[in-house]
Amino acid sequence: MLRKLSRSAALTARRRYVQTMFQVMGHALDAISRTDKKVLDEARLLPVGFVFEMTVLPAGPSLVVEHVGEGRLRYLGSSPPANVDLSIRFKHIAHAFLVLSFQEKTAEAFANDRMLVDGDIGLAVRMTRILNRLEAIILPRLVASRAVKEYPADLGLFEKVPGAINIYRRVATGMIRDLTKEVSPT
Amino acid sequence: MSRYYEFYCPVKVISGDAALEHLPYELTSIASTRPMIVTDQGVRAAGLLDPVITACEESNLVIAAIYDEVPADSSTTVVRDIANLYRQQECDALIAVGGGSSIDTAKAVNILVSEGGDDVAAYSGAGVLSRPLKPFFVIPTTAGTGSEVTSVAVIADRERSVKLPFTSSFLLPNAAIIDPRMTRTLPLHITAATAMDALTHATEAYTCLGKNPLSDAYATAAVKKISGALLKVMDNPDDGQGRLDLAEASTMAGIAFSNSMVGLVHALGHATGALCHLPHGLCMSIYLPFVLEYNLEQIREPLSDLLLYLEGPQVWATTPASRRPEATISAIRHLRDELHHRCELPRTLRETNKVTEDQLDQIAHKALDDGAIMFNPREASFKDVEAILKKAWG
Repeated sequence: MLRKLSRSAALTARRRYVQTMFQVMGHALDAISRTDKKVLDEARLLPVGFVFEMTVLPAGPSLVVEHVGEGRLRYLGSSPPANVDLSIRFKHIAHAFLVLSFQEKTAEAFANDRMLVDGDIGLAVRMTRILNRLEAIILPRLVASRAVKEYPADLGLFEKVPGAINIYRRVATGMIRDLTKEVSPT
Repeated sequence: MSRYYEFYCPVKVISGDAALEHLPYELTSIASTRPMIVTDQGVRAAGLLDPVITACEESNLVIAAIYDEVPADSSTTVVRDIANLYRQQECDALIAVGGGSSIDTAKAVNILVSEGGDDVAAYSGAGVLSRPLKPFFVIPTTAGTGSEVTSVAVIADRERSVKLPFTSSFLLPNAAIIDPRMTRTLPLHITAATAMDALTHATEAYTCLGKNPLSDAYATAAVKKISGALLKVMDNPDDGQGRLDLAEASTMAGIAFSNSMVGLVHALGHATGALCHLPHGLCMSIYLPFVLEYNLEQIREPLSDLLLYLEGPQVWATTPASRRPEATISAIRHLRDELHHRCELPRTLRETNKVTEDQLDQIAHKALDDGAIMFNPREASFKDVEAILKKAWG
């Protein structure tokens, strides 16, 4: 009985972790697209109004962002609008956890068939590069090296630290705003 | 953490002498009485349809319809026309006879005749199909694409100027029939380019991120067959055993890469093919050593292994372990030199006379957005790709 309860608690914690990481990544994508030139250059070539979703089968959690033009990405939350242009779907919450806890690189997860891509493959490659850049900036080098295929050789501390501080500040503000909305829905 | 992988290949491979004569049995065993052949003018003109038709007639099996006008770069319109012919003639199975274009076209036709409708674009993408399609057989007439064992097809939509990808395990044929008669008359420069395509499939399958023990087994077997047979066939095009070895190697490399994916060589090849209309096999042959050099430090171990299959146990044993990866690349370069000597297969982009130096930037940009780049062991940046292209320019 005790074992069953602790197993259930672990599964719930894993789902919450994935949910929270998606939320952090959503706000962080929004933030990095305001300042990082490499992300702006990549995102600028996405169609305006392009909606990207990363989700877990069969029913979430999810993160949804939209390209609003000029390389700016806007975090739309966890509920996708009717038309999603590109969807990357983890086959199981366990696979999402492996990637989001940096035990498996995104590229490895693709190679291991952990995810399905629905949409333009070229845009999926571009979004993966944006996610890799985000991870390289906001994670300590040791952790980031586990998350991305190759840690960017040209990313020095003078670029990384201010970039990360700026992103974490915006993520914190966004998360507090989300929490406030949840507590007092209008 | 232990490695995870998936491997899937339900295609029956019917290979060797008189393999074509097994086709009637395969068709009748699934109660097909009105098969349709999908092929192209080149195959028809080379007389390659004759043994297929004769094999069926001798078993009292009538070919209900033949469509022999598949173009090199097939389109949704062609697919619709063939599907209409299939329905008019009340056919009940498809036989693709040809190279990548005929096989891909027949895969797309199978979607329409099985699912209904006229718009094959509606089924584009991954995992859209949800049930088995009509019986489908493939008889390859080139030894390189491996399309007879892959679950993808690419068809051009000319109205929207896009290439539509179709991915589903239901696209896989019931059987692939590998008969040495079908590749015996293949011109030497096409034999060389398509074999280099197969060698690249096997090499990338063995060195990229999706490699797994089962795809490794197919990849190494394919490399061994190609290195043993290619130059023999170039010197003696009527070498039936050599032709069969190349055809089987192509199928094995196809099974390997469809289960482990490919990498930067293919990303560059797809981009170059789209922008400069260079044949796919030729692109593979040009880029392979340059990309292996670029990936070298990440793939030293698998590249060392490949030396055994490329050059044999004696060379492998006498090469110092630390030099084997470089020796593998040298062996591939040597093979390209031999092919250039025998049929002038270009080794650089400059030698093709179809690419201009000012197109390299465009190729680099396009290659960066190709799905294959995801599985490359190194994270290639624009600068990296540009540097590889400059080397490949020559």
